[in-house]
Amino acid sequence: MKNRAKNEEIDDVLKRAALAPEDIDPIMLARIDESIKASLRPVRPLPPVWLMATGLVLVCAVISFVGGARAGFFGVAKMNLAERWLVFPALGLLACFAAVSFVHQMIPASRLRFSPGTLLAFSSVALLAVFADLFRDYHIDHFFSAGIVCLLVGLLHAVPAGLLSWLTLRRGFAVNPASAGLVAGMLGGLAGVGVLELHCPNFQAAHILVWHTAVVPLSAALGALLGFGLRPRTWSDER
Amino acid sequence: MVRYQEGDFAAATVLVRHISPRLHRFFLAKSMSRSDADDLLQETWLRIHKVRHTYRHGEPALPWFYAIARHIRVDHYRKSLRVAAGERELEEMSKGAAVAPPQAGELEALLAPLSESQREVLAMLKVEGMSLEEVARAMSSSVGAVKQKVHRAYKKLRDTIGAAHREIDGTEDSA
Repeated sequence: MKNRAKNEEIDDVLKRAALAPEDIDPIMLARIDESIKASLRPVRPLPPVWLMATGLVLVCAVISFVGGARAGFFGVAKMNLAERWLVFPALGLLACFAAVSFVHQMIPASRLRFSPGTLLAFSSVALLAVFADLFRDYHIDHFFSAGIVCLLVGLLHAVPAGLLSWLTLRRGFAVNPASAGLVAGMLGGLAGVGVLELHCPNFQAAHILVWHTAVVPLSAALGALLGFGLRPRTWSDER
Repeated sequence: MVRYQEGDFAAATVLVRHISPRLHRFFLAKSMSRSDADDLLQETWLRIHKVRHTYRHGEPALPWFYAIARHIRVDHYRKSLRVAAGERELEEMSKGAAVAPPQAGELEALLAPLSESQREVLAMLKVEGMSLEEVARAMSSSVGAVKQKVHRAYKKLRDTIGAAHREIDGTEDSA
């Protein structure tokens, strides 16, 4: 009963605030009109979400393929049919999710089905599950020396993939650049994992689970940092 | 909005007249001074104009405006933090944000104990009359998270009101 009375008290204040007219200086409104008029011309709206997302997935696929071709397709050549049919479709599916999420991040007020953090966690766990299920060689040889090379190769391909993805969506506007950077980094990271799966013939479970999978969260973290650092300058900075 | 994208100045003027009071009130609900709210409103319109092509036909327009306004406000807040020198000053600022300024209106005084995001949610939901879905879009959040913020904000406000009532009762008894 007491709670209801207090809620009504709160609602009353909020209702009164909603009904109160907001006085704005007409000179300021005229100034806004003038600044808009000075550069008002027709603009082309963004293309459909599916088209932008397809573009992003293609960018990542091309980078993975070119990276794999340059380094040699030793990994995919060593894989059996089941491994090929599970690893690459899984990577493609996760890249589709990341691409759609990135497109939504670049359109203000888009409906977000998953937060970028949730998507990153889901992608990492899904990759771990697929790799753990397929690769059962539990020997550990040259864990650090071979692993760091793979991590670097993955990240070296993730960075251009993430940057090209950002360039593809350059007409968009990220209201939260850190989140957008995180998803772009994750997408780039998936391209990096694609290169590693095409190239790396080391099928030891520990190597793949740790060093290949790590490319995705590391690249996402790098993207989030870049996004945070490269926040667009606002008008007051330019004054 | 579509006519604005097509370069119709009359449509742009109508939008400015219709949306500006809402955005101005949204900025004021953050215990912000009137001159700061004026500055942010102008900055928001410049940004809206620059990214007007990102509005998608058929989508609700109000959350799109608020998402950009929110981005500008957060940017302004970060800049004000950078300008404030030293940790002590920052502490004083955050204390200042939690208590409404003396000249604040009824709404600002009511929302003063709430966090920035709780104030934002209540301002959009209860003052601007937006739906939960629209608020979630404007905040790049989920409907569930918005509901949770409203619930927590009301609980905090009820506690504050309860404490204020108890204080008044105590003063009357001692008198």
